[in-house]
Amino acid sequence: MAAPAVLAEQLSKTFRVAEKEPGFAGTLRHFVRRRYRRIEAVRGVSFEIAPGEVVGFLGPNGAGKTTTLKMLTGLIQPSSGRARVLGRDPYRREAGLLRELTLVMGNKQQLIWDLPVLDSLRVNAAVYEIPWAEAQHRTAELAEMLGVAEVLRQPVRKLSLGERMKAELLASLLHRPRVLFLDEPTLGLDVNAQLAVRRFLKAYRERYGATLLLTSHYMADIEALAERVIVIHEGRLLYDGPLGGLVERFAPFKEVRLMLARPAAAAAFARFGEVEEAGGLRVRLLVEKDRLTGVVAELLANFELRDLSVDEPPLEEVIGRVFAKGAV
Amino acid sequence: MLLAKARTLLAVHFAYMMEYRAEIFFWILGGLVPFFFMAAWSEAARQGYTLYSPLEYARYFFAVFVARQLAIVWANWTFSDWVRTGKLSFYLLQPLDPMWRLLADHVGERGVRLPVLVVIGGVFAALFPGALVWPGWGALALGLAASTLAFLLSFFVAYSVGLLAFWLEDATEIFELWYVLVLFFSGMLAPLSLYPEAVQRVLLWTPFPHLVYLPAALWSGLEPADARGFAVLFVWTLVFFAVSRLLWRLGRGRYSAMGA
Ligand SMILES: Nc1ncnc2c1ncn2[C@@H]1O[C@H](COP(=O)(O)OP(=O)(O)OP(=O)(O)O)[C@@H](O)[C@H]1O
Ligand SMILES: [Mg+2]
Repeated sequence: MAAPAVLAEQLSKTFRVAEKEPGFAGTLRHFVRRRYRRIEAVRGVSFEIAPGEVVGFLGPNGAGKTTTLKMLTGLIQPSSGRARVLGRDPYRREAGLLRELTLVMGNKQQLIWDLPVLDSLRVNAAVYEIPWAEAQHRTAELAEMLGVAEVLRQPVRKLSLGERMKAELLASLLHRPRVLFLDEPTLGLDVNAQLAVRRFLKAYRERYGATLLLTSHYMADIEALAERVIVIHEGRLLYDGPLGGLVERFAPFKEVRLMLARPAAAAAFARFGEVEEAGGLRVRLLVEKDRLTGVVAELLANFELRDLSVDEPPLEEVIGRVFAKGAV
Repeated sequence: MLLAKARTLLAVHFAYMMEYRAEIFFWILGGLVPFFFMAAWSEAARQGYTLYSPLEYARYFFAVFVARQLAIVWANWTFSDWVRTGKLSFYLLQPLDPMWRLLADHVGERGVRLPVLVVIGGVFAALFPGALVWPGWGALALGLAASTLAFLLSFFVAYSVGLLAFWLEDATEIFELWYVLVLFFSGMLAPLSLYPEAVQRVLLWTPFPHLVYLPAALWSGLEPADARGFAVLFVWTLVFFAVSRLLWRLGRGRYSAMGA
């Protein structure tokens, strides 16, 4: 196997935060004697990502995804364990490595707020030592892939959220990094913009053979981009494997959808499985795979149906179950 | 390549500062404090109490004003803001030490400030005819060199204070202490030669008297310029440069990229 592009080895991070009671008395007490609370944000997480792989990084709020990405990009120092990107320690911030990686944060922006996007790009080109002619060439190429060519001369504060996110992506990729860490790159975008960002990441990855580790709470992002997912929960690794395997393992269900000819009470379906939607003409049930044929036969026998279909359950549903269970 | 990098950073930071030109203008107005002292000393001179004539006081305090304007720094504030808001994260991702970015921010601002100072100089010359005399190229250049050193020293002190944000929630105000020391021991309140001799001797080894006094003395040509000032400023600049490097190395591990 080729040397991994990204390696996490027993990676852990504990934060120490000062606690303060509200109010004046609390402030005084805080001043005299500080009390600290330890937050184990990431606990002994290990994984490897091969060059060119696209991996979805999943977990509920507060699971430790962002913290892990911060360690992998050298922003913060791990409390213990090892992080390696392209064989090097990101915390040391060697220029050679920094030129190969990027971190895109959907909830943060690096573009200079009051100046046109191009000015920020100029700074990045200089910082990464890309000649301006070359940088312009790359800007044109990326802007075309993203569809944002028109807005580059406008002050950042005048851009819509979607335009700004695309411009952020452009700025983060001007130096053509080979390893991309993306923390909720589609956060808050409308469906079209999400789709555009997804397509763009796919195209970028194909064109430059880049490695991607990406978090998102939109399962459509993960389904569209990642063949493999890593799931963490409360700082611990829960699952690492193909996306399909996640469904197998955590959701041995099929989703049965019915269109009834006449409305029926929700209670009538409880014995078949988990009722997701019922009461009107439309019914959705989660049925265990083992019982599926029996249940379908019974439904056909007992109800007048306009339509019946059997599907994989929606990924959101599966992920919800994984998070709810917590441990495997 | 390094030059191109510097040029671009400066150009963009200049553009950035131009967006805030109004703020900078008021900031400069706030720096007019020495002129109040000037008025006081000139009045004293008119009544025959002191060394120089009113016009000479005017010249001296104008030189003080310019020297101060060129040494104003805010690295303490900016850097601790980067730490608190997590903005530092973006700079950590890039192959450029954040210190250079901060320095470019200051130097770029000087480009906006300089033309304003020229205009104020014109107004001043019109208000006090004969107060401003051409110091000569040599004195001008030496004064500029001194004020550059003074700027760098102030910058590294402020940056070091800003770096304390890795340990303390809000340390930026510690830098006020520096201003107080500068106010009392820099010759801003009064020409230093009016201080007791023993005090003068000790003070000359600290950076304070040279920060404002050395360039002001060179530009005004009124006070004796102490060549030792260059060495003192240079050594203190090196000291605080080293301090800031050390704080950076020690503090980085404590950065938690909060809010980012
Ligand atoms: N700088 C910090 N200081 C203290 N605690 C922190 C800090 N950053 C994160 N934490 C805590 O560590 C835990 C993990 O946070 P993290 O941001 O990594 O989660 P996440 O998986 O990215 O969540 P989300 O999906 O909400 O973005 C949380 O409990 C959070 O409160
Ligand atoms: Mg997060």
